[in-house]
Amino acid sequence: MSVLSQAARRFVKASVVDARTFTTSTRRLQAEPLQKPVLNKEFKIYRWNPDEPAKKPTLQSYTIDLNQTGPMILDALIKIKNEIDPTLTFRRSCREGICGSCAMNINGQNTLACLCRIDRDASKDSKIYPLPHMYIVKDLVPDLTQFYKQYKSIQPYLQNDNPPEKGEFLQSQEERRKLDGLYECILCACCSTSCPSYWWNQDEYLGPATLMQAYRWIADSRDSNGAKRKEYLQNELSMYRCHTIFNCSRTCPKGLNPAAAIAKIKLELAAD
Amino acid sequence: MSSSLILRSTLSKALIKSSLIRSSTQVRQSTSDRFAYVPGGPIYKGTVNDPTTFPPPSKTHGSYHWAFERLVSAALVPMTVAAFATSGTNYPIFDGILGLTLIIHSHIGFDSSAVDYLHPRKFSVLGPIVKWTLRAATVGTMVGVYQFNTNDIGLTELIAKVWAA
Amino acid sequence: MLSTRALGLAPALRQAAFSPARNHILRTVIRSSIIKRSVQTQSLKPEDGTTILNTQRLQRPSSPHFTIYEPQLTWIGSIFNRVTGVGLGFLLYGFSLAYLVAPGTFDSTHVIEFVGGLPDVVKYAGKFILALPFTFHSWNGIRHLLWDSGKFLTVKGAYSTGYAVLGATAISTIVLMFQ
Repeated sequence: MSVLSQAARRFVKASVVDARTFTTSTRRLQAEPLQKPVLNKEFKIYRWNPDEPAKKPTLQSYTIDLNQTGPMILDALIKIKNEIDPTLTFRRSCREGICGSCAMNINGQNTLACLCRIDRDASKDSKIYPLPHMYIVKDLVPDLTQFYKQYKSIQPYLQNDNPPEKGEFLQSQEERRKLDGLYECILCACCSTSCPSYWWNQDEYLGPATLMQAYRWIADSRDSNGAKRKEYLQNELSMYRCHTIFNCSRTCPKGLNPAAAIAKIKLELAAD
Repeated sequence: MSSSLILRSTLSKALIKSSLIRSSTQVRQSTSDRFAYVPGGPIYKGTVNDPTTFPPPSKTHGSYHWAFERLVSAALVPMTVAAFATSGTNYPIFDGILGLTLIIHSHIGFDSSAVDYLHPRKFSVLGPIVKWTLRAATVGTMVGVYQFNTNDIGLTELIAKVWAA
Repeated sequence: MLSTRALGLAPALRQAAFSPARNHILRTVIRSSIIKRSVQTQSLKPEDGTTILNTQRLQRPSSPHFTIYEPQLTWIGSIFNRVTGVGLGFLLYGFSLAYLVAPGTFDSTHVIEFVGGLPDVVKYAGKFILALPFTFHSWNGIRHLLWDSGKFLTVKGAYSTGYAVLGATAISTIVLMFQ
């Protein structure tokens, strides 16, 4: 009897313990998904529609829940385009800062929308404009024709009439190191369109992005066309409109330094 | 009344004739006028695949100009310090050189601003006016400073005395 | 795509696409929209492309620039350098040309006498208005010379030298004001 009752007690105890562990584990398994509070933030976005060219460009306001949005400005733009207004137009491709498509002016600074975090302070709105002082194709899409034509003008390719007899061009580590910080440019045009000199004279002044690429080829030990490349810049407009303002280096989303590259070209031209 | 009618009719006939000729032969020209290249405008020279071109190279407008500009600015550093330390009347030649350097420095600065904001390629009337007014003003200023430094007490002395007045 | 958007059918189409039972609806919707849209084509010569593009280009607005760009030490400092330089230059040119035209009125004795007769407040204000541009332009000029000789050519360098210029300007302006 006592043995039986002991066994019964043990069973009850065990079942109680079991039941507790069972209930807690089910509660853990069926945990309610955490309901994030709504965090609405206002985005004011530059709009201009070429189908209604007479209408002046305006700022259009969109409010989205940041807790239902990815962390970057590009995520917000895509969410707005998907869920609120499919007519909102912008360029984007890689979403990881390597293609340079989503360059725009966010809260007063030129940067890539995909690399720019949304400020989670919902009391302040975020203003999004296209790259400054550019002709606008639609909304946040600027016409970069002139920018690309200028890049082409500096002949951005290796030129050497005396290639090595066999094998490839050899460079010392030091010669190669000169190209670091120059070749990484993705031509997003953030720097050029942040430059006041480029704002006023972009029909003739090449701008920081193109000038840094000009230096990229002047500095390349394998290129033998350096003299000609420098000669192109010997006039008052192509390069010497640079007044070392430093907006270019300040805004570069890749952390490059066009201002220093241009300063080095100026020193090399002065030494010629 | 009748004469004006005749005039109008002949005029309109002539207009129709000329517009007909134009429309048949000069279609392309009339459109290219509308799309003429304006520096800084939305119409570009050549197609999207043509590179932009460079102005003819000139070291006078390029590196020589830049180096000269820096040289003048750099020279002004010790000269400004010296002007604080000495009095102009004791060193009239130094005073004259300082005045001349300041004028050249100012001229380059004014000229640089004019190239930035009022270049003749964009401002075909105002640009040249500003350019030549600046040149005339610079020559006038040089004469004025020379007169003031020879007939009066000189620039540094004037500034020192006005500051103490 | 455009036609569905114009007709407001996008949500209906999206729903229909996910439910196979409604596929026949989708089909009828597409068919009816195709029937409704009477497409007209227009043949163009290859060179007309440029005309169309240029017509569009002429309508394009220029995006806003200095009004929306964040005020930063970089470009605000640069424009201030130019404004102070032009201001001081105007003073030099103005006085020299005035002396050239009327040496009797703008000679040193008259100028000093005129300034001496001004009230103290105006004197100090005048000294401030002259000393601030002069010191800023001078210190910032040295900063530019350092850059041009290849020093401090980083964003960090630009900012540290920029703040140094601002500090030096403040101190030297105050010193000059009470000279």
